[in-house]
Formats: sequence, C-alpha cells, structure tokens
Amino acid sequence: MRRSKTLAVALPLVAAGLTAMMTTTAFAQNLSMWVRESAADPGQLMVDLWNQTHEAQIELTAIPDNQLVTKLATSVRAGDAPDLISFDLIYMPDFMRAGFLADLTDQLSSDPNYETHVEAYKDIATYEDRIYGVGFTPDVSILVWNKELFREAGLDPDVPPKTIYEIHEMATQIGALGDDTYGFYFAGSCPGCNIFVTSPLMVAGGAHILPRNGEDAALEGEAVRVVLDEYRMMWEEGLIPESAEVDAGENFVSAFTAGNIGIAGSGGFLLSLMERQFPEFDYGVGLLPGLEEGQVSAFVGGDVVAIPTGGANEEVAREFVTWVLSDEAQLEGLAKNAILTTRTDLADNEYFAGNEKVQKTAEALAVGYVPWVFHFADMVNSDSSPWINMLQQAIFDGDVDGAIEEARARMLQIASE
Amino acid sequence: MTEIASPATNIATGATDARVVGGSRSVGYLVGALCLAIIALMLAPLVLSFLASLKPPAEAAAVPPQYLPRSLSLANYQTVANYQAGLWTYVANSLVVATLTILFCLALAVPAGYALARYAIPFKEVFFLLILASMMIPYQAMLTPLYLMFSTLKLTNTHVGLAIVHTILQLPFSVYLMRNSFEGIPRELEEAAVMDGCSSLQILRRVFLPLVLPGMVTVSLFAFIMSWNEFIAALIFMSRETSFTVPVMLTGVSTGIFGVVDWGALQAGVIVSVVPCIGVYLLLQRYYVSGLLSGAVK
Amino acid sequence: MLATNNKYVGLLYLSPALLFVAVFVLYPLVQLVMISMTSESLLGGGEFVWFDNYLLAFSDRSFWTSFWFTVRYTLIITPILMVLGFLLALLTMQNRALNQIARGVVFLPVVIGLASSSLLWVWLFDQQVGLLNKALVDVGAIEQPMVWFNRAHLGMTAVIVSVVWKVVGFGMIIMLSGMQSISHEIVEASMIDGATYWQRVRRIILPLSARAILLATLISAIGSMLAFDQFYLMTGGAPRGQTFTSVYWIYQNSFVYFKLGYGSALSVILMVVIMAGAALQIALQRRGESA
Repeated sequence: MRRSKTLAVALPLVAAGLTAMMTTTAFAQNLSMWVRESAADPGQLMVDLWNQTHEAQIELTAIPDNQLVTKLATSVRAGDAPDLISFDLIYMPDFMRAGFLADLTDQLSSDPNYETHVEAYKDIATYEDRIYGVGFTPDVSILVWNKELFREAGLDPDVPPKTIYEIHEMATQIGALGDDTYGFYFAGSCPGCNIFVTSPLMVAGGAHILPRNGEDAALEGEAVRVVLDEYRMMWEEGLIPESAEVDAGENFVSAFTAGNIGIAGSGGFLLSLMERQFPEFDYGVGLLPGLEEGQVSAFVGGDVVAIPTGGANEEVAREFVTWVLSDEAQLEGLAKNAILTTRTDLADNEYFAGNEKVQKTAEALAVGYVPWVFHFADMVNSDSSPWINMLQQAIFDGDVDGAIEEARARMLQIASE
Repeated sequence: MTEIASPATNIATGATDARVVGGSRSVGYLVGALCLAIIALMLAPLVLSFLASLKPPAEAAAVPPQYLPRSLSLANYQTVANYQAGLWTYVANSLVVATLTILFCLALAVPAGYALARYAIPFKEVFFLLILASMMIPYQAMLTPLYLMFSTLKLTNTHVGLAIVHTILQLPFSVYLMRNSFEGIPRELEEAAVMDGCSSLQILRRVFLPLVLPGMVTVSLFAFIMSWNEFIAALIFMSRETSFTVPVMLTGVSTGIFGVVDWGALQAGVIVSVVPCIGVYLLLQRYYVSGLLSGAVK
Repeated sequence: MLATNNKYVGLLYLSPALLFVAVFVLYPLVQLVMISMTSESLLGGGEFVWFDNYLLAFSDRSFWTSFWFTVRYTLIITPILMVLGFLLALLTMQNRALNQIARGVVFLPVVIGLASSSLLWVWLFDQQVGLLNKALVDVGAIEQPMVWFNRAHLGMTAVIVSVVWKVVGFGMIIMLSGMQSISHEIVEASMIDGATYWQRVRRIILPLSARAILLATLISAIGSMLAFDQFYLMTGGAPRGQTFTSVYWIYQNSFVYFKLGYGSALSVILMVVIMAGAALQIALQRRGESA
C-alpha cells in the first residue's frame, strides 16, 4: 500500500521531469543573448548576420547600461544566465575572477584569427593565462578638431596638436576668435567620458593610472600631473566653456558638434553620428597625444562577448564566439556597417578604403590600452569615484598635487579590497 | 457595513458641516477659485504627458516643445507595444504578480484578521505587533538576504517570487485592515450561528466573509496598486527581459543611446503604466480612501 | 460559550501569517545581520570579518554624504508636505462639489507609481523637450530652459517638486480625517465666542488634528528616509555622487559594486537609525498626549 502510494507520487514527477527535459532540448535551437542598451545597435547587426547564415537562432535582449552587470551577476548566481553576453569590457576582470565565465582558451589559442585580434581585447579577457572572451563591438577614443575654426585661427587644418602642450597653445589661438568660441572641451562631471578621452593623454605620456591591487602603482608618472595642470590652466584661462564643469556626459558629444569648440577628445562612434546628422561638418580625426611628439595612446572600449557558465547551449555559444573573429563577421558584420574590425589584419579592407577618418580610428584601436583592474565601477565609473574627484579638485578647485595624492590613496584602498 | 466604509471617511461624500469652516459668500468664491487652480495644477502633468504621448514621434522630440500636439498619432504607443518582448508580456507579468500578491495577502490576512479579532490567543498582542513591526523595517534593506534566499529556492525571475516580496510589503497593512473589519461585526450574528450548530470554518465562510467583503476589496485594491507600481524589488529579482514588470520596462524605455531618449514613447509608457491605477482608483475610490483612513487614524 | 474561544483554533488561523513573517521577514533579518559581518560579494565568495564593515562604514565619507543628503531631503520635504497637506485639507473640508473634486484630484497621483511619476517629471524638467522649462520661460521665471539635474540643489528641488505633486494628497486625506472627527459643538462654541476663521484654525482645528498630523509626519518622514526610486530615475546620483540617498548608496554598493556584505552593514545601520527615529517620535507623541 505504502509503496504503491510512493510510486503514484513518483511517477508523475518523473514524467514531469522528462517532459521538462524534452522541452528544454526542443528549445535549444534558440540562444539568448544580452547586450547593453548603448551597444545594442551594432550588436543587433552582428546577430542578424549570424541568424541569416546559421540554423541556431540568437535572440538579442538590450538591457539598460546601468543594470546590465547587476543583472548578469544576479542571474549567474540564480543559475538563470543567458547563453551569451555582450558587456562593457571593463567588467571582464571581476567576472573572470568570480568564475562566472566559460574558459575559451582551448578553442581560441588554436584559432589563427585570434592571433591578429586587437591586443587590448586579448589583454582584458585573459586571467591567469586563461582566455574568457573576445572583443565584440569595439570603440576607441580619438582626438577630433574643428577644421573650420583651425582655418579661422590661422592654424593648418590638417595638422592636429601633437602634445598636450600643443593642445593648450592651439586652444589659446582658437579661444581668441571670440567670446562664443572655445579652444577645448571635456565633460567635467563625467567619470566615464574622462577615463575614455583624458586618461590616454596621461598614458601616452608614460603614466600608469589604475592599480591592479593594493601594492600596484596608482596615478604614477609625471604625465598625470602635467595633463591635469594643462587642463587647469585652460580652464582658468577661459578656453573651456563654463558649462563643462557640470557636464555629466549629456554634452560629451553635442558640445563638439555645436561647432564652437576647437579641440576635444571623442570616440569612434562620432564618425557614424556625424555622417548621419552633420554630413557637412569639417573636422579631423587623430590620435590622443602625450607629452612629447610621437607619444600616442587611446582607450579601447566597447563590448566583449563571453559565455556565462552553466548555460544549456554552450556548444553553439562557443561557435558564435569563434564566428565573431571570422572574416565574414568582421567584414560583412562590422566593416560593412562602418564599425571597426577587432582584427588588425582586416583594418585595411574594401569598406574602409579611402576613408581616412576610419583608418585613423583603426590605428587608435591598435595602439590603445585598457586598464585591467577589479572594482572599475568603484574606482572610476561611479559619480563619487576617486578618479572624477581628482579631475574636479585639480581642474576646477586648482589643487593638482593634493587631488592626485588623495585619489591615489583611495584607489589603492579600493584595489586592496 | 463596517466602520471601514463609514461615510465620515469617504472621499466622495466627506461629511463635514460647512459651519466648521464658515465664511461669507466672497470667501466661498475665493475657495472655489483656489480649488479650480489646484485641480488645474495637479492635472496638468498628466494631461500634458497624455497629449505628448499622442504626438507623432518627431513632434514629441521637437526642441523647443509645444504644449499641444499639432497632429495626432498612435506611433508612440506602437513603439511601446513592440518594445523588446512586447508591452503585453510586461503587462501580463505585472498582472500575474499583482493577482498572486492579492491572493497571498487575502489567504494570509483574512484568517489572521479573524483570529486576532475573535479568538483569545496567548500572546495575541505580541503576535499582532510582530506582524505590524515588519512595516517599520526598510524593505530595501531586506532585499539582499531575500535575494540570496530566493536564488537558492529558484524563485528569482518567477512571478511567485516577486509576489512573495510584494506580500511581505503589504501583509502588515492587510492584517490590520482585516482585523478591523472582523472587529466591526456584531457578536450577536456569530452567536446565532453557533446556536445553529455551525463549525468555526462554517461561521467564517457563511457569516463573516460576506460582511468583511468590503475589507477584502480594500486589501486587494491596495495590494494591486502597490504591486503594479513597485520598482526596486522587481528591478533586482526579475533579470530576464521576458520577466520584467511594467515599471522596469519603463526604465528601459527611458535609457536611450548617447542621451537620445524617445520622449514620445516614454510618455506613452507612462500613460500605459498609470491608466490601470487611475481606473481602479476611480472605480473603487471609496474602498481605497476608507482603507487608508482606517489604517491611519487608529 | 462561543466556538471562537478555542485558542488552538485561533492559533491555527493565525499560523499561516506568522509562518510567513517568520520565513520571509525574521529569517532574512537574521541573515542580513549575518551577511553584514562577512565580505560576501555578489559575485560569490567572502569570509567572516566581524565588525569590519561597520568600522569601514563609519569612515566612509560617501556613505555619510548620502546619509546627510537623505536627512536634508527629509527635513526639507516633510514640512512642505505637511503644511501643504494641512492647507489642502482645510480648503477641501467643505462638502461642496468643487471641493470634493479638488480632493479627489489632489489624491489622484498618490495611486500612481513613483517610477511612473518620476519618469513623467524627468520629461517635464528636461532642458530640451521639457514643458515645465518652457512654462517657466513663458511666464518669465527663467530666461532660458535650464538643466536641472547637474547641480545637487537643483536636482533635489526637481525631485521635491515631483514628489510633492505625487504624495501631497496622502497627508491631506489623513489630516482631513483628523479634522472631520472634531466635534461640531466645540467649533460652534468658538463661533459664538466670535473667533475668526484663522483663530479657529489655530486654536481648535490644529491642536485637535495633532494626532493625524503626527501620524502623517511619521509616515512621510520614514518614506523620505527610504527614498530611492525618484533619485535613481531622476538624478542617478549625479553630479559627483551628491544626490545619492542612503538606500541608493546601499543599492549601489550591494548590486553595482557587488559588495553585499558592506551593503548589508549599511542597511543595518540605516534600519537602526530609522527605528530609533520612529520610536523617538512615537514616544514624544505619547508624552504629548498624556500631558
């Protein structure tokens, strides 16, 4: 009697379990993928291309930028993560260390396409000699200048500033054009914008910005002080519009496109935006310089693609990662849509031929750096981070040395956590 | 009818003698003018949002903006309807979670209210305070342990899980309301039922339930509005786009690319999220306000 | 003897609710305190660290900035809500149709979600497409549309305007109920004494609805101390992290910086502060009543 009762309970359970398993396999053809909202457009282009040529279809979901990493962390903990994720590369170290991502070393180290993969992506996606992801939709910081204003100020519109000092000099000449014209612009309350366009000036000058652990160097090198000091002087001399102090990123792009700014740091995304909205705008694209001529750098940004552990469709997800580096994906998915390729050997392709600006941006990608640190959000991206506090204290309050020292102490404290 | 729905606490028939305020005819006009001004001021944001949602997308994004639409269009509603997994998925999620929250609240609060109002239980006051005390705990603080607990129980990303969180928020008030409802019923009715040989459960079902129905409507109404609107728990517990509720979807609509927000669609989303609450409020106004007051004044 | 006098039956009816509270409130509460003494990360891992998180909290400038910001926000918005709520209650006390409509309309935003109302006001305040900016320019209050969310005090002002619009009806209704429970005899007696309207308000209505006012104050003060949605959606903490509220900072630490242990310690601190504040207020109220 008792046994039959147990059986009566157990049988439907087993049946239900089997059905559940069967339905899972039936749906296995559809892969889920998350992408942060601001990288959703290029991500969709890539996924569309994949879906056209593959049986296994990928469903892309855009998640608001400020929620993506939280959702990713919580979903992995809850065992409910998507099959693929495309996220801000800067979070790679945190996720790799936590063991949230599948190890892709075996398939990538034997892949010839991986050899020419942009160095910065290789670097950020490697932890203790294991590889956990590849660059997906790239972005990189560049220097832009308004050729029209250069001409008016008597400067050669084809020669950009080659050092931070030259930026200051040229900005002075452009600022002299009139009350409504400014030599330089940066978004003074935007931590992310400045790690993107201001930190490369320091790095190009030989500085080391963010500490990897509590014993590492932080804000080390003369260039940190010099860059902050030049910014401070430009601010005090009125070469930067006053609205810059409170710009939390709203005008990071639109300040330059308004046409009254001589020189600014920007990103590769500006190129397609200009083409769409201001096709007549006459501007130049160059690399962010350092202290001496010939020193250049860039911040490599954009998204990496990785596979959260424990997904049901890992095999297909792995195929997708390999495919991202293939000629097809790089040329027809990225280059054709005026997006940079993440393989250096394909930077010179038919779609980019004759487009000087895109080629310059590709160059920046090849020389660019990306800081490999834990707690990037805490150290840099948050609105009260030591990074943004340092910039504001040094540039707007005028205390350069104190600002560096204070920020260094806090960065080291965060890094040692 | 119980004290909960007494007319003195009814927003529609608020019964205060004019003499309390008094005043001459000219004061009356002044009061009337002030009332009109306040009505206009309070309604303006919603009306403007509604009008903006009906503008064609380009007009809604126009700088500088215009108060009134020059032409009408449902394009913004179409955008919202097709947002990611589709508006109806999110509305359905919100409705399911709200319905479950209502059921949980009623299932727990009706018997608890009955027991607290009618039974001599040891430590009754302690138990009652215990249930009420959770109202004093900032629930945002509880989200971390709840989250960890739910991820072990596989309750994250489920309607039941979020409904449980919403029930945690709403239970104290629900129990309080139900206790008051049961207390408002005359004892004689119960005694008569006992004479007829009814069991405790039968009394609850046949005698009390019809009488505490207004209280139950109030509990449901509050649970619905809270659950439909709740944001931070939904944000943390629901991480799949197919499991988002309406408020979480709204924040998705509000983050554009490089600051380019689709304002028209955002306002359409606001209107969609607001209409059910306003509808329910207007329909069941008396229950809402009376419930609020019975919870407040005692 | 009523059937309902059987205490075990009563306990049986009460048990589901008690069980629910034990599992989903008390147990997580104990967990919260335990996690607050670990270095648990949202990404997993962590160890027991005793009171390190609490010690860290006391020297964490950002936490205290957010805490005092929240206190300032509470101290500013609560009186506004109470005074406006009281005046609105006075205004709409009479039972004429227009007053009733006004009462209903003022209460309307209370049922709307804070997320929806915040996003509605983000739009109204927007520099480029915001109609509130346009209206302010049209009436000559400002010269040109302004950015509201890049200065801490302006951001707070904008949030306060939106929240007042949303919840002022709540205080109004509670105070209205207090006023409506005042007996007519008292009022009539004072009218015979020849007291003017404002004298009556000050001497009779205000003291006799004191209890309702205190209750409304308590509820809105706790609500303001726990503010999150409106700041998350309207200011995002900007500029320079000056508009983080306590709960926002806890959320930021727990779910953005992944520091669950630290975030839990901050939660415990906040909880203790709020409960102490509420207890103080209730104690003062009791003393006021018994005096």
